[in-house]
Amino acid sequence: MTMELECGTLCTVIDNLEIGVIILDADRRVVRWNHWLAARNGHNAEQSVGRLLLEIMPEIAGTRLAQAIEHAIRDHMPSLLSPALHGTLLPLYQNAEDRQRNRRMQQLIHVIPLTDAPLQAACLIQINDVTATVSRERVLRQQAENLRRNSFVDPLTGIYNRRKFDELFALEFAKAQRQQKPIAMITIDVDQIGAYANCYGNEQRDLVLHDIAAELKLSIRPVGDILARFDTEKFALALPGVEEKAACLFAENLRMRISTLQIANESVSTGKQVTISLGVAVMVPEAGVDTHTLLSSSDVALYQAIHEGGNSAVCFSVEEGTFFACG
Amino acid sequence: MDLNELQRDALREIFNIGVGRAASSLSQIVNDTVLLSAPEVMLVHREDAAKVLLGSEFPQFSTVSQHFSGAFDAEAMLVFPESNALEIVRLMVGPHMSVEELSEFEQEAMCEVGNIILNACMSALADLFHLALNGTLPVHRFGDTESLSFLSGGDSQMVLVLQVDMTISQQRVQGHILFLLSVASMQSLLDCLDTYLREQGLL
Repeated sequence: MTMELECGTLCTVIDNLEIGVIILDADRRVVRWNHWLAARNGHNAEQSVGRLLLEIMPEIAGTRLAQAIEHAIRDHMPSLLSPALHGTLLPLYQNAEDRQRNRRMQQLIHVIPLTDAPLQAACLIQINDVTATVSRERVLRQQAENLRRNSFVDPLTGIYNRRKFDELFALEFAKAQRQQKPIAMITIDVDQIGAYANCYGNEQRDLVLHDIAAELKLSIRPVGDILARFDTEKFALALPGVEEKAACLFAENLRMRISTLQIANESVSTGKQVTISLGVAVMVPEAGVDTHTLLSSSDVALYQAIHEGGNSAVCFSVEEGTFFACG
Repeated sequence: MDLNELQRDALREIFNIGVGRAASSLSQIVNDTVLLSAPEVMLVHREDAAKVLLGSEFPQFSTVSQHFSGAFDAEAMLVFPESNALEIVRLMVGPHMSVEELSEFEQEAMCEVGNIILNACMSALADLFHLALNGTLPVHRFGDTESLSFLSGGDSQMVLVLQVDMTISQQRVQGHILFLLSVASMQSLLDCLDTYLREQGLL
């Protein structure tokens, strides 16, 4: 014996579904408004029946939901309204507190034509609460963003780390090579930072490194120049498009800016201040030359500056193989 | 089976009415001008449809499909190269993301975009031909051409291919709409088209 579900049973089933259900007739009047929806919308299920949907929720006029309903009833075409594009279209709330704060639930809505349905049913609107999914999505995306950020930023100073520098420097170097334009490289070392840490402690040393990085960051062009922390006391700065003379002036300017910070350092015999040494190298990279040549040239210049007693900027002329003081 | 010039022009015009309506719906959603046009319509055998898509040289696709039934039955599919689909979602939803990060959230958005475009095309046909068509809800998938399995079936079927140009936030994104029809359904569609052309006094 086959048994058809009687209408009353079906209505009970619809009322007890854990999704929102609205059934409309061909005149866009509500035939069914289930309990789930009533609890989250505030409109009594019984009072909603027979009324125009636009009367119950005037705010849907002109929205994509209104279009989707027309599409379903007139053209028999179903529609999906995604939370990404519509989110909180209907005034539905998870609880009274959310309602008070006007914090609507995130919704995934399906609008389905009921073409061979008996009675006067013409359109089924099905609403899923996807608030939890959407907020989990946001948390995950935020975490991914943090991870991505942490993978290229030095946590102490907030400037790029070595890995990011290598990546960006390679791009700028290749560009200079292609366009046959100069690129300058400055390596910077904080003088006697080991002695400073022994005297003032590691925490104070970190503060100094942070302040120096901040000062360097203020000095560079925000677009194009690449500043990074290489290791404990060593910074690197790449200046695309900058010629040797300008790079030397810039390095000398940086040295003076740091000394005007007047950070006391009792651990050094002369000056009693924290100072930096800088090594400069500039080239118009020829084909076949790699980044290493420029990096090691500025390193050589830096060692020369340190060797000369620190608190100085030295340039290594790549073409002539000679050193000269920037100041 | 092929389209004559009159049929091809008429279909192009009808589908452009459809995608035009879809564009205004999409514009409303993103609060920005979205332009859609279907500059090219062609009828190919099923086995040649994949070649049309592969001509775009992208191995990975995003597809949104819906089945329509009535005076003729058609499997309709909006196909974008995966990178173009990502671009659309990115322009519509906002944040920067890669395919790996593309969650259900964005897939549903892509699904809705396809739904709007496919419904609009089929409604335009139904309106002008005065007939009723029923559609299923859209399904979104990512995959390579092999996963476009409906293009590799054995029986002889025809595919109506529309090239689609979408402009959103001043960026142009290209894709295709495919309608897969049995030979009988294709014949019904062409009969409807001829009736329409006669009504218009064009045949």
